[in-house]
Amino acid sequence: MRLGGVLVYLRTMALFVLAWYVGSLLVPSKLLLPSPLAVAAALRDTGLNGELFGNALISLVRLLASLLAAAAIAVPLGLLMGRSRLWNDLLELPVEMLRPIAGIAWIPLALYLFGIGHRLPLFIMFYTAFFPLLVGTAAGAAAVDKRLIAAARTMGLSGPSIMRRVIVPAALPAILVSARLAVAASWTAVVAAELVGAPNGLGYAIEYYRSMLSTPTVMAFIVTIGVLGFLTDKGLRQLSKVLTPWAQTGAAR
Amino acid sequence: MSAPKIRLDCVSKSFGGSVVAVEKLSLDIRDGEFLAIVGPSGCGKTTVLNMLAGLEPLTSGTMTLNGKPIEGPGAERGVMFQDYALFPWRTVRGNVEFGLVYGPAGQGLSPAERTERVERTIEMVGLKGSHEKYPHQLSGGMRQRVALARLMASEPEILLMDEPLAALDAQTRVILQDELLRIWGQDRPATERRTVVFITHAIDEAVFLADRVAVLSSHPGRLKQIIDIDLPRPRGDATRRSGDFARLCQSIWELIREEAYRATMN
Ligand SMILES: Nc1ncnc2c1ncn2[C@@H]1O[C@H](COP(=O)(O)OP(=O)(O)OP(=O)(O)O)[C@@H](O)[C@H]1O
Ligand SMILES: [Mg+2]
Repeated sequence: MRLGGVLVYLRTMALFVLAWYVGSLLVPSKLLLPSPLAVAAALRDTGLNGELFGNALISLVRLLASLLAAAAIAVPLGLLMGRSRLWNDLLELPVEMLRPIAGIAWIPLALYLFGIGHRLPLFIMFYTAFFPLLVGTAAGAAAVDKRLIAAARTMGLSGPSIMRRVIVPAALPAILVSARLAVAASWTAVVAAELVGAPNGLGYAIEYYRSMLSTPTVMAFIVTIGVLGFLTDKGLRQLSKVLTPWAQTGAAR
Repeated sequence: MSAPKIRLDCVSKSFGGSVVAVEKLSLDIRDGEFLAIVGPSGCGKTTVLNMLAGLEPLTSGTMTLNGKPIEGPGAERGVMFQDYALFPWRTVRGNVEFGLVYGPAGQGLSPAERTERVERTIEMVGLKGSHEKYPHQLSGGMRQRVALARLMASEPEILLMDEPLAALDAQTRVILQDELLRIWGQDRPATERRTVVFITHAIDEAVFLADRVAVLSSHPGRLKQIIDIDLPRPRGDATRRSGDFARLCQSIWELIREEAYRATMN
């Protein structure tokens, strides 16, 4: 990120924090809206005692692990759905029925299945990341320029080679975009999943400090989620630049 | 003359029942022949080429290669597409080496030989120094030369080319015409030449390169006439300046003039 970009971010943040501060003066209850100063203090305290970092790391690792697991299944399946009528007909109905169900809707059932621990948030985030990846990959694979496939066929490539050498690289930008959507959705699911189903992580910490009526600390963890969400998205955009430099022409950043 | 390399027998192609792109086209393409196809825009040239490539099924008629029906694409028939069909995620080098690395064309070549051929082909089309550029970083003419190099690098037995030099400036075009004749094998005996089907809009180009020029007429696309180009080989700048050359160009122009005007006025 260039210095100019950093300044723009800082300026936006400063305006936001200022508005927040004014708002906190107007809202009488510190429980409803603590001032940014109180939240900064909570950030400092939880930061210093390692609580913030520990929980953030746990949530981040869970998110990345479930993203990778979801991609390992959704991407190959999406490629098949995008390129094969048969697979599409087979999977379309169940996918379209499961997709609208929010991951967190499975929490009660998952509690019976997995109990409290790593497995429940992993499952919920896997579920949440799975469908954006599947649908995005399938759409990307279906939209590959026919002429490119024709060109590869005239060079004597077999079906599997064409999949590997043409379909996958051509669909890669679409796959990476769907990964960004999947990560954003996973962050929204992580809180809910850890809120009930985990003994640690950012969602757990939020719920814990809520029960302690410590709103500034709750806000500190919320801010942390926002920052991590931003950073993971930034990371994925950076990855797109490295993996698909050829597809970056129209990108502003 | 021996049996034809490729035979089109009463080939028709229509799209969606209504658009008749090609109608009852019969044509023999000889082994080692350089055949040019000219005709007004929309007369079905690309459609014929796609059928030869095995990418489009025929609506009726038969099309054979060495006596066997063409049922799909094959690496012995290399294609250069009118819109280039370059792989946007591969650099110039990545595009040119594609067929050699992933297709059967590179079998029997050592990695060193492969690299050498890729380098030589890129140099031949005048793209030295642009190896690592992506297609979107190239001009239209440069992209066309990448497509040309990609076809040439695989050295297919039959070259199917759809307006391969159309986007080039006049000088580059002349150079690559000469180069194309060399690759085709104009200095070799007729039996050792490749077979080329070359679509072009430029009559002078067709006359300069080809053994025969097939003139198509449009709506529906039919074979209007085949003209033998008996200019002596090897051909070069002297050919371009000769009176016979001008006369042949003139007679083909007269064949298609009326239709070209009609197509333009529509
Ligand atoms: N996939 C398609 N679906 C419907 N119609 C098509 C299709 N492809 C080609 N046509 C029609 O078939 C006719 C011949 O098209 P073709 O592309 O073969 O012409 P062409 O001779 O190559 O033209 P140009 O010189 O402009 O490249 C045109 O009328 C075109 O509209
Ligand atoms: Mg055409």
